[in-house]
Amino acid sequence: MGTRTSAKAQGTILILATESCAYPGADSVGQAHSSYPANAYILKVKAPVLFPERFYIDCFRKGVSGIIIMSCGEECPYEGAYKALAKRVDAIYALMKEHGIDIRRLRLTAICTVCNRAFLNEVNQMNAIVQELGPPVFDQAAEA
Amino acid sequence: MSDLKQTASGGQPASGCPADEARIGVYICHCGGNISDHVDVEAVRERMEKMPGVTVSRTNMFMCSDPGQESIMEDLKSGLVNRVVVASCAPSLHETTFRAAIARAGGNPYQYEHANIREQVSWVHHGAPATDKATRLISAAAGKARLLTPLTPIRVEAQRRALVIGGGVAGMRAALDLAAQGVRTDLIELSPYLGGGLARLDKLAPHGEDAAGIVRELAGNILSDPLITTHCQARLTAFGGYVGKFSVEISPASRTARAQEAAPGAFVPGKGVLGPAQAPGAPERFDAGAVVMATGFSSYAPQKGEYGFGDNAEAVTLPRFIEELKNAQTAPDGMLRLGSRPVRSLAIIHCVGSRQIPGVHEEGPSGHLNEHCSRTCCAASINAALTVRKTFPATRVYELYRDIRTYGRGQEEMYAEASAEKVTFLRFDVESPPEVVRVNGQYPLEVRVRDELTFGENLELPVDLVVLATGMEPAPIRDLIDMLKLPVGADRFLLETHPKLRPVELPVAGVYLAGTCQAPMDAGEAANAASSAAAKAGALLRRGFVELDPFVAEVDPARCKGTGACVDACLNEGALRLQETEIGGEKVMRAVVTPALCLGCGACAAVCPEGAINVSGWTLEQYEAMVDMILSEAAFAVTADESVSASPEPAEAAV
Repeated sequence: MGTRTSAKAQGTILILATESCAYPGADSVGQAHSSYPANAYILKVKAPVLFPERFYIDCFRKGVSGIIIMSCGEECPYEGAYKALAKRVDAIYALMKEHGIDIRRLRLTAICTVCNRAFLNEVNQMNAIVQELGPPVFDQAAEA
Repeated sequence: MSDLKQTASGGQPASGCPADEARIGVYICHCGGNISDHVDVEAVRERMEKMPGVTVSRTNMFMCSDPGQESIMEDLKSGLVNRVVVASCAPSLHETTFRAAIARAGGNPYQYEHANIREQVSWVHHGAPATDKATRLISAAAGKARLLTPLTPIRVEAQRRALVIGGGVAGMRAALDLAAQGVRTDLIELSPYLGGGLARLDKLAPHGEDAAGIVRELAGNILSDPLITTHCQARLTAFGGYVGKFSVEISPASRTARAQEAAPGAFVPGKGVLGPAQAPGAPERFDAGAVVMATGFSSYAPQKGEYGFGDNAEAVTLPRFIEELKNAQTAPDGMLRLGSRPVRSLAIIHCVGSRQIPGVHEEGPSGHLNEHCSRTCCAASINAALTVRKTFPATRVYELYRDIRTYGRGQEEMYAEASAEKVTFLRFDVESPPEVVRVNGQYPLEVRVRDELTFGENLELPVDLVVLATGMEPAPIRDLIDMLKLPVGADRFLLETHPKLRPVELPVAGVYLAGTCQAPMDAGEAANAASSAAAKAGALLRRGFVELDPFVAEVDPARCKGTGACVDACLNEGALRLQETEIGGEKVMRAVVTPALCLGCGACAAVCPEGAINVSGWTLEQYEAMVDMILSEAAFAVTADESVSASPEPAEAAV
């Protein structure tokens, strides 16, 4: 009899990958047949500046264990977007602290179309963190 | 803005819940075993069949094949499905294939979502975890598909007129190719001359074409083409609008350094063909449908003291040496003479201002290091060395290099020929570069190098001349970058949207890249890129209208309260504005999108307190649905031989 682990129990990692850089970068990792933890799920985004602070908090509340924002960094095709994103991530960290969520669960990084090693490092590091921390638990006092 | 349309087909509202109930078809590809060797596609199909909203789930050995596409089209035509999810390879490969199939079947190509289960599942995971992950990704795609509304491309009327910025080989090639497609073209050039960097060269590597001859021919064709208007000594002073209708303002540039003795159309050695100057006075304004950037490059200027440069008159750059070599006369003794000075031996040092390494090289006045390879200098150096050896056989030539990159057709043969012509190659390590020292001996300079080809032998080369193979840097076009809002890479060259999929395009729709403004390239490569850019721009303009992806911001008027937060957050000036409107007899401000100017980045969506603005096809609600489905266990029916564990198991080991 086989046992399948639920998404929440396996420590789901959400990767928001930009369509210009990180998403093709993830494809490049696939083309190299380099394995990484299967609990990492990649969503293609035009620019992660789309997501408000509440999106991240809601994801943690729903049971996502870790989020990696894989942006284009300084090579972002949308001028000014990366700066706005970096500012937003600071605000999300503040909210995470308020809710008692370990800020290591969220990471902003830049991944290019051929940054295979960097991609693998980021996913493996986040996986180690979510396995260590387990599912996110919100601070009851902050929730009240 | 009457020429802009973004409406949902069939009278559907472009946002909110679709009026029709979602009937999702899920189509899973085996990819000939690439996927099915690691993902149990039949198990996934069975799981998807049970998902709410999914009316059919099918598999095919190759979903991109005609039978695969036809199965989708038949389901659409029969009304069995009205939204499509294809689970196959990376969307970059076949997303357009499936969208086109949907359109052919009469469906809306934007009611489509792709699940990447090859590059991001079967090629990186194996066994049950791969099958489970594929299930969750396809569920997420179906979750998004359920919320997809029909969209139509944004149609913008296009002026059949193009602007080319830069009159070098790339700019001239692009202008000629545009004109050949019937597109009226304005070419602006800051200097008085057409020809750019090519006009300063001599015989081109590796086949020896005459650079001046190429410049003459291109410029002659430019100046005689009735569809091309050339504006030399002109600069772009204002730029606005959007693809299909950019508003352009051209003003006369500085009048200095124009060869007064030359007639317009004449070739001036080392400078190019004298072009018609922009008329003084008021700026000239017109609309252009597309823009080709062909602003070229700058040669790296060595710092004082770098390989003896600036301290010794005998240390010169390669572009300067090529110019001097053009004028050198042969002598009976076979010795190269520059002016009256004999050059008994010379050393060419490679990678000057290229492939710079932090911690090894010093940053220049710009504060940047050129970490890129300039690509063309190896061939140019060897070409110059060969010219010297063939024309002045009594002059000895040393080439001091880090790596030789003779990558193009005929270049490797040229490298071999240089060896046969007794050019002496020495290889140095970047950590111990050659030293150029002034000496009191028979020769004015001595080049000291630790040669890796002789296993670290320290050599002292007496030379009359040191030539520095300087690399390419981006041209100083900060004003244009700011005006056109162009992205720049870490190497400071203009950055294409995608190096493989959209290599001459920019995120600013309707603006294209040609030549060395994008990266170091030789004249042939620059002409090649220019033809690509012209083909893209021509294809865009010839139809008389432009169709853009409808993935732009859209305001829900029922929710907008006119806070203006979106306008403040907008990254592209003019894409969003507040406009006064009347609601219930009261004048209120509401956000309005100019679709052709919207980049679709979504910066506005994140900040709206009312959730009244979103990017069509990429809404927050759709992303939330995807996250929900990734976390959901709904697709997994518990069978007799399987149970679900709520306790974590060790995650798959990473390799």
